[in-house]
Amino acid sequence: MEGQRSLELILARNLLSSISTPAFLVDAEGVLVFYNESAGGLLGRRFEEAGKMSAEEWGAAFGPFDNHGQPIPFERLPLTIALREGRPAHASHCIHSQTGEQHDIEVSALPLVSTDGGFRGALAIFWPMAEAQEYGG
Amino acid sequence: MRIKVWGARGSVPSPGPETTRYGGNTSCVQVTLSDGTIVVMDAGTGIRNLGLTLAGPAPRVNILLTHLHLDHIQGLMFFAPAFRPQTEIVIWGPKSSEASLESRIARYISAPLSPVEVRELPCDVSFREAPATEWEIGPAHLRAASVTHRGPTLGYRLTEGDRSVCYIPDHEPGLGASLHDLTPEWISGYDLAHDASLLIHDCQYSDDEYPDHVGWGHSPLRDALTFAHRVESERVLLFHHDPLHSDDFLDAFAGTATERWCELGGAAERLELAVERREIDLG
Ligand SMILES: [Zn+2]
Ligand SMILES: [Zn+2]
Repeated sequence: MEGQRSLELILARNLLSSISTPAFLVDAEGVLVFYNESAGGLLGRRFEEAGKMSAEEWGAAFGPFDNHGQPIPFERLPLTIALREGRPAHASHCIHSQTGEQHDIEVSALPLVSTDGGFRGALAIFWPMAEAQEYGG
Repeated sequence: MRIKVWGARGSVPSPGPETTRYGGNTSCVQVTLSDGTIVVMDAGTGIRNLGLTLAGPAPRVNILLTHLHLDHIQGLMFFAPAFRPQTEIVIWGPKSSEASLESRIARYISAPLSPVEVRELPCDVSFREAPATEWEIGPAHLRAASVTHRGPTLGYRLTEGDRSVCYIPDHEPGLGASLHDLTPEWISGYDLAHDASLLIHDCQYSDDEYPDHVGWGHSPLRDALTFAHRVESERVLLFHHDPLHSDDFLDAFAGTATERWCELGGAAERLELAVERREIDLG
């Protein structure tokens, strides 16, 4: 068995699995430990099929790139900023799904810090831009 | 290792003719180790009666607080050994970034809520935040882990030799999750409770009552049993009875619990509802 997850990650996972906002959860080492069904829809692969991924793996698998088609350096991704700098970060960029589709998305990432001050990981929520505009308009 | 229940009620003391058999005192369990060391888990109103039995010299008492909800600390001020200068009391509890354990407890043991202040207690009292790693009390190893409740809350596991007791009185591990389907690493409290000789666990609500109390930090019968089954504890004591549950209700509830436990493959004699003054010798 894997070591017990921290309570903060367990609660975050329970929250993410109970909402339809697409979201990712990474542990303190940056390993992608969960994403919910809606994120699976956006990424073209369910978490149960994909499994855990290291930071390099998820960076490569979902290949975020900017509006000019240039890959976004790993250290500039909101999730990486939340992890490395322990602060919230937001960006809009494109991702490729596993089925070859391209999605313009907004991403907000938040660090997870426990009540005793320990850093436990980060979560990122995604919002497809088309839907965001529809919602906004 | 001997266990004695001094209070099995949750939320608020509920004395009265309807609760004489299961008892109305709130959370308190005494663990006596092989060398006589006394460890007290939670200081609900049950600790008052425990204190009265410690009339002789009890030089050192360790109190493990799971969290600081009133039903787990209300008895502290009425614990007789705290008023004897020769007693040393060590109080363990959850860490918080907001304030020290002592100052959080002092909000209750201070005016206007209390006639005495912590610093006025005649005993030698100290406060220690439960460490993230294992520690020792007498011949026992202790472990604490954060569990799903409301606010910073710990569960404890106390091990002496090959016997262990795991105490998680306030716990809602099934909140937003299916305990049947989750892998162990994602179940709150799993590591702490796995393979324990005795699991003392929250079972405040019946399954019918639970929908009105989702997110309140307590388990319905269904989740208490599934958790106990998943962690493969040898024996189970269902704990933290709802103040509204009369003796008659709890008798019937025990019957349902046993039936459902057997359906999960458990042995009927390994599961019971906690009753005040119940003693269990874990060997
Ligand atoms: Zn309680
Ligand atoms: Zn509580």
